[in-house]
Amino acid sequence: MTRVRVTRPQAGASTPAQRPETAEESEVGQLFVRSLIRSQLRLALVVAGGFLLLLVALPFLVAAVPGLDEISIAGIPFAWLLLGAGIYPLIALSAWLFIRTAARNEERYRDLAGER
Amino acid sequence: MNPAVGIAAFASISIATALIGFYGLRVSRTTGDFYVASRTVRPWWNASAIGGEYLSAASFLGVAGLILLSGTDALWFPIGYTAGYLMLLLFVAAPLRRSGAYTIPDFTEARLDSRPVRRVTSLMVVLVGWLYIVPQLHGAALTIRITTGLPSWVGPVAVTSVVILTVVSGGMRSITFVQAFQYWLKLTALAIPVVFVLLLLLGSNLPAVAPPAENPTGAAPTGLYQNISLLVALLFGTLGLPHVLVRFYTNPDGKTARRTTLIVLGLLSVFYLFPTLYGLIARIYAPDLARAGQADAVVLLLPGRLVGGTAGDLLSALVVAGAFAAFLSTTSGLVVSLAGVISQDVLGGGVRGFRLAAVVSAVVPLMFAFLTDSLALAGSVGLVFAFTASTICPVLLLGIWWRGLTDVGAITGMLTGGALCGGAMVLGAIYGSNALPPFVAQPAAWTVPAAFAVTVVVSRVTSHRIPATLTRVMTRLHVPERPLGP
Repeated sequence: MTRVRVTRPQAGASTPAQRPETAEESEVGQLFVRSLIRSQLRLALVVAGGFLLLLVALPFLVAAVPGLDEISIAGIPFAWLLLGAGIYPLIALSAWLFIRTAARNEERYRDLAGER
Repeated sequence: MNPAVGIAAFASISIATALIGFYGLRVSRTTGDFYVASRTVRPWWNASAIGGEYLSAASFLGVAGLILLSGTDALWFPIGYTAGYLMLLLFVAAPLRRSGAYTIPDFTEARLDSRPVRRVTSLMVVLVGWLYIVPQLHGAALTIRITTGLPSWVGPVAVTSVVILTVVSGGMRSITFVQAFQYWLKLTALAIPVVFVLLLLLGSNLPAVAPPAENPTGAAPTGLYQNISLLVALLFGTLGLPHVLVRFYTNPDGKTARRTTLIVLGLLSVFYLFPTLYGLIARIYAPDLARAGQADAVVLLLPGRLVGGTAGDLLSALVVAGAFAAFLSTTSGLVVSLAGVISQDVLGGGVRGFRLAAVVSAVVPLMFAFLTDSLALAGSVGLVFAFTASTICPVLLLGIWWRGLTDVGAITGMLTGGALCGGAMVLGAIYGSNALPPFVAQPAAWTVPAAFAVTVVVSRVTSHRIPATLTRVMTRLHVPERPLGP
């Protein structure tokens, strides 16, 4: 996949102000939109992939590290703690990271498309 | 258990639901109100409502039952149910809200500019909804039988009647408040008894009957393939649940849709700690509940069993009320979204059509529920997720992110996924899922990729049918809303 770098137009060579609707339908506008979609998709895939990798790795970790499954806290075995409670903060963290970055991608798009 | 406890609990939940429904009636006037609450619902309300609607019989009763039966393997269920929302957030939440569609068929029609796609999507949505309501009604039958001793049919009939009453009278606006209330009710109903039980256990030094790792039924562990297949079903199935998606249209914009989803994730994470605790406590202190063949009732029976006396009765009443809240909220959420689809596609929209459609969408699964036997609740809901993941999810994901999707590709993909997964489910219903090889009992791991592959390949072959509206629609899905004001 070739990556297209989209940069803000130089201050001197500014195009006449366009209405946002027409701006999005112009060729340059579509370039911005495509780049926004690509960056959002890449972000979503990275977060999903990272989370799933961790999710799959955890049971193997329990099985692979000797003695880990014999640890118990307050009578509750480690595997129970990990699967029953430990994964949820991980989900929330992934979600939070995603939301922050997705909003930043949109900010950048707005800057580029001159919507502000 | 004292039968009066169960009846009182169900009556008070029904009355509370109906009251909030009627109260909400006064604020809902237009057709738009009936469908999606005019998009004026705040994130916290909306997130509570999503949680309330999502946490069904499978979560409230089934998860603890399954943990009691099969231990740590069952912990993948709540993880999948929660992580499904992460996938929803990553791939669907904001674009779907920005699409501006009311229902999933609205979305696919707008995206692919095609009426036939709309029809097939509607069919799938209705199937998914009906399949999902049936386990709720089975849960109601089980709860009524166990807690009151009344015949099983009373439960499903009562739930269906209350749902029809609230949906027909108030529409989505009141449903939002009802659902939000029911999330917090369900959480309280699980949390208070389990805290009591824990305090009691700490104080009394009751002897552990079995160590938690022991499998009280001796059932074979489910194995790696099944766990993976289950996760695929739950992660991708959540993306396509009609009653969940309709909630996203009630957010004012894409950004709020994401925030709402984040709150939902938090609410679900907190909630699932409790069924897990019930399952774990039951494994240690009351493993015989599994052998009676009614593991799904463990949440209902545990407080009475370990606490006993009047306190036990009160706690049981609370849990029973929570269970009915679960059946009512999920069923009414599904009925609302099904009625939206049926009334728009068959009855030409309008408030009258919506009401008629609501009755139809609630009564049909009631018939199904009478004709079928109750499986383990968490398991049968897991199969519905597999079906959704094999039909609606590919079209939704590819529609949002891939420009190459065509109407023919979407239709063949949905039909292929539906036929494969539906076929496996029918086999499971006929022969019993234990008698079947794992790949039939838990089909998502291959039916979901198959549906995706067929959709992509057929779309590629028919690429001349890519709609002319593509650029405009994709822009609308992904470009952030313009901030109001200067």
